[in-house]
Amino acid sequence: MSCGNKGDTVICRCEEVTRQEILEALADGARDLRGVRIRTRAGMGLCQGKTCERLVRQIIAEQTGVNPAELRPATKRPPVRPLEIGLLGRDDDDSVK
Amino acid sequence: MTPSSSVDVAVVGGGVSGAACAYFLAKAGMKVALVERGDLAAGCSGGCDGNIMAQDHQPGYDTNLTIQSNRIYQQILPELDWDIEYTQKGSILVIETPEELDFMLDRMKQQLACGLPVRFVDQDELYEQEPLLAPGFLGAIECASDASCMPIQVAVALARAARRLGAEIRTYEEVKSIKRDEQGRIAGLVTDRGEIRTPRLVNCCGAWAPFLGKMVGLDIPIIPRRGQLVVVEQTAQVGHRKISEAHYVVAKFHPELTEGTDSETLKYGVAFVFEPTASGNMLLGSSREFAGYDTRTTYPVIRAIIRRAVRFIPALAQLHCIRTYAGLRPYTPDHLPIISAVEEVPGFYIAAGHEGDGIGVAPLTGQLITQIILGQETTVDVTPLRWSRFARGAGRQAG
Repeated sequence: MSCGNKGDTVICRCEEVTRQEILEALADGARDLRGVRIRTRAGMGLCQGKTCERLVRQIIAEQTGVNPAELRPATKRPPVRPLEIGLLGRDDDDSVK
Repeated sequence: MTPSSSVDVAVVGGGVSGAACAYFLAKAGMKVALVERGDLAAGCSGGCDGNIMAQDHQPGYDTNLTIQSNRIYQQILPELDWDIEYTQKGSILVIETPEELDFMLDRMKQQLACGLPVRFVDQDELYEQEPLLAPGFLGAIECASDASCMPIQVAVALARAARRLGAEIRTYEEVKSIKRDEQGRIAGLVTDRGEIRTPRLVNCCGAWAPFLGKMVGLDIPIIPRRGQLVVVEQTAQVGHRKISEAHYVVAKFHPELTEGTDSETLKYGVAFVFEPTASGNMLLGSSREFAGYDTRTTYPVIRAIIRRAVRFIPALAQLHCIRTYAGLRPYTPDHLPIISAVEEVPGFYIAAGHEGDGIGVAPLTGQLITQIILGQETTVDVTPLRWSRFARGAGRQAG
């Protein structure tokens, strides 16, 4: 693991993933946001990639030569933001089938 | 590196089963290509939880598959250069009613007879171990050997290990057709990137295995069954190991005991499963629905999972859900995987259809396929796993 040379810069703050770890994920065969996520946990924390996704996208683009706009987006899953479990399971909308 | 145009065996599918097959085949000295249309663990293995769990299985053959596979996990751990987050904290099935208790204690005798390290945890000990459990449970059955892992990392780790042994890991390459010789034997694969000559092909496509089967005229009776899961934020642990409900096991054999369970829970096949992960998150499950290849999560099912979970661990209500996800379990009519040669298509092998056991049974799957291909004695009797039980509609019935 290299230090200095920006390698130790933390890219995903929730899961403390460094730039170097993202480069290693790309060397291991990752090609998109999901590939980086499953190998490093970048984007799997509390904010679900809201903070780091743009940076990860940039790193993937610069390393693979793909236009950042053409990268497959990460899979978005509900909820949009962390939601209290008690609220999610509440009993007031039995109209939902 | 230019990919090879000729190998001893092509493994199709880059989930845990495919990666395990590639690993064990390469270890046995075969020249292997693993071909995967996307990235590793992009299908079933990327949408499940990491159970290596034997105590929820029918005592006997099914239980033994996981016992053996768990052993192989422990044997291969030192050979992996990638953390699969393997932990062996055991699991407990929480018992709610006297009827469940009788059933579970009786079942425990059968489990002990097949070598499973199970014991009864009484009420006092249960609440000492898991103080946040809702009051009123009578006890639990503990299985000390049950373990957890991170399935995606298992696929990555095994693929890396296979690669070190000389296997080619060809991700983002899709099989378009299968070539056979005049005798009908497997001769090669045509992919979107070229052609691979091979006399053997292992179908490790999980819920997608039928599509590869069709290419050689096989009707593989695997159906995708969706399971949804809830990811809970990282926090001080509210439960110390895998906790599930005994009710679910009892209901499998005594459906009359499900009376009183709410219809939502029954409708979506919801059973309480709590799993602390190595990252400090918690997973809540589980559900079972036939919904085709749709891997979206749906609010009614998530809500039913959450209600069931809060019923067992009320403190969960105050924590946050950070994500929901769903994956496909490759269901077979008799709930056992197909790990077998296909006699009518020489050179074609299947290692798929594990439903919810793919992660737990992956190392054994890889070992068995390798033994079958090499004509060696198999670690377990593979008769119940044979393709011939489904060939031409033979013996298809729900188990």
